[in-house]
Amino acid sequence: MTIDWWTLGLQTVNVAVLIWLLGRFFWRPLAAMIEQRRSTAEKILAYAEAKRGEGVAALAEIAKTRAGFERERDAMLAAARKSAECARTERLAKAETEAAALQAAATAAIEKDKQAVDAAWAATASRLAVDIARRLAARLDGPAVRTTFLDWLLKEIQVLPAAARQAVGVKGVVLEAISAAALDPAEQDRYRDLIGVAFDAKPQISFKTDPDLIAGLELRGPTLVVSNSWRADLTHILADLAHDRR
Amino acid sequence: MNSPLTSVTLFHIGPVPITLPVVVTWAIMAVLVLGGRLVTRRLSLVPSTTQAAFELIVDTVDSQIRETMRVEPGPYRPFIGTLFAFIFVANWSSLVPGVEPPTAHLETDAALALLVFVAVIWFGIRAVGVKGYLATFAFPSPIMIPLNFLESLTRTFSLLVRLFGNVMSGVFVIGIVLSLAGLLVPIPLMALDLLTGAVQAYIFAILAMVFIAGVVSEGRPIPVSSPRTLP
Repeated sequence: MTIDWWTLGLQTVNVAVLIWLLGRFFWRPLAAMIEQRRSTAEKILAYAEAKRGEGVAALAEIAKTRAGFERERDAMLAAARKSAECARTERLAKAETEAAALQAAATAAIEKDKQAVDAAWAATASRLAVDIARRLAARLDGPAVRTTFLDWLLKEIQVLPAAARQAVGVKGVVLEAISAAALDPAEQDRYRDLIGVAFDAKPQISFKTDPDLIAGLELRGPTLVVSNSWRADLTHILADLAHDRR
Repeated sequence: MNSPLTSVTLFHIGPVPITLPVVVTWAIMAVLVLGGRLVTRRLSLVPSTTQAAFELIVDTVDSQIRETMRVEPGPYRPFIGTLFAFIFVANWSSLVPGVEPPTAHLETDAALALLVFVAVIWFGIRAVGVKGYLATFAFPSPIMIPLNFLESLTRTFSLLVRLFGNVMSGVFVIGIVLSLAGLLVPIPLMALDLLTGAVQAYIFAILAMVFIAGVVSEGRPIPVSSPRTLP
């Protein structure tokens, strides 16, 4: 067995060259690519970690914002409740005031209507009473009643002012003596005399009949009117009752 | 059949005889370099299946260097990886009809052992300096200097003999069986020879790493964990 030194040298050089070539064209590029992938993965992981941190911070910010929203919502709800309560209280007070006013107005209206009704009923009752009295007094017309009314007329004349009584005595003045029933001429003369005495003059007196007087004797002249009859009395009473109702 | 102990000269370049192992080695070199160039021509961050497979090879070589030598694999990867790849392909080149593995010849194995011997010195001096490298011969005591020096020679010789013996014997046995029996009988032996070739490539690379680590790791802290561990 011999060693071929040329072959030994060539093989040594060959393997050395192969080591250099593969180191340059195979091992180094692949290792560099692995290293590049590793560094890229590290960068991506660092980026992802940073993004995750940003995400966590964003979530915390969102949670904080949502908590703010909750607080704001609670505050708005409280304000709305308070506002609604104030509005309700105000509405209630206003309603109570309006109800009281309406009640007062209704009470006043009721009272006014009641008074009106009372007045109407009183007027009706007065008219009824006067009508009843008129009918009753109509049955009382007789000599005694006429004498009484004549006395009352004379008394009325006597209490007239002096100027009024003197005006009757002027020439040409004609007085009307109105009675409920017709007087016979004798009574007319007697009445004319008595009235003249009462006036202390001799006035011209014409006699008329008015059944509406019911009973009595009224005297009318240019400057005076002496109402002396049941009708005048009842009218006066009716006016007094109306005045009392007011 | 030619004796595996002799090299057939195919032609001469000047005074230099070019033998068959040299030509086969050139062919293997061409295949490895062109294949490597082809693989690394279009590398991308998102690897193809082929790129992923070759990156797996690189990663496996790196992890073996890291586990065996306890150093970063960068400076040693081309040497250890190429040794393994060349021996592996050379051993398996016997599958090609008419091709005799260059590692079945003493000169090729001697060249590989010589490169390992030189690499031990080179990496040792680069790692710990000339003084530090020479100091490794005095470990554990100066009395051991002759023995350590002798060991550095004998272990290189053992590399040579081990690889040559295994591959040459395989080729020799297959040749004998093939000459005696039919066509199919040597196939189991060839399969066994493939296994032996792969194991021998691995053993040669591992022993080269152990020899280099013996001088490189002197006075160096041992990495606790791999820096490639991603967070």
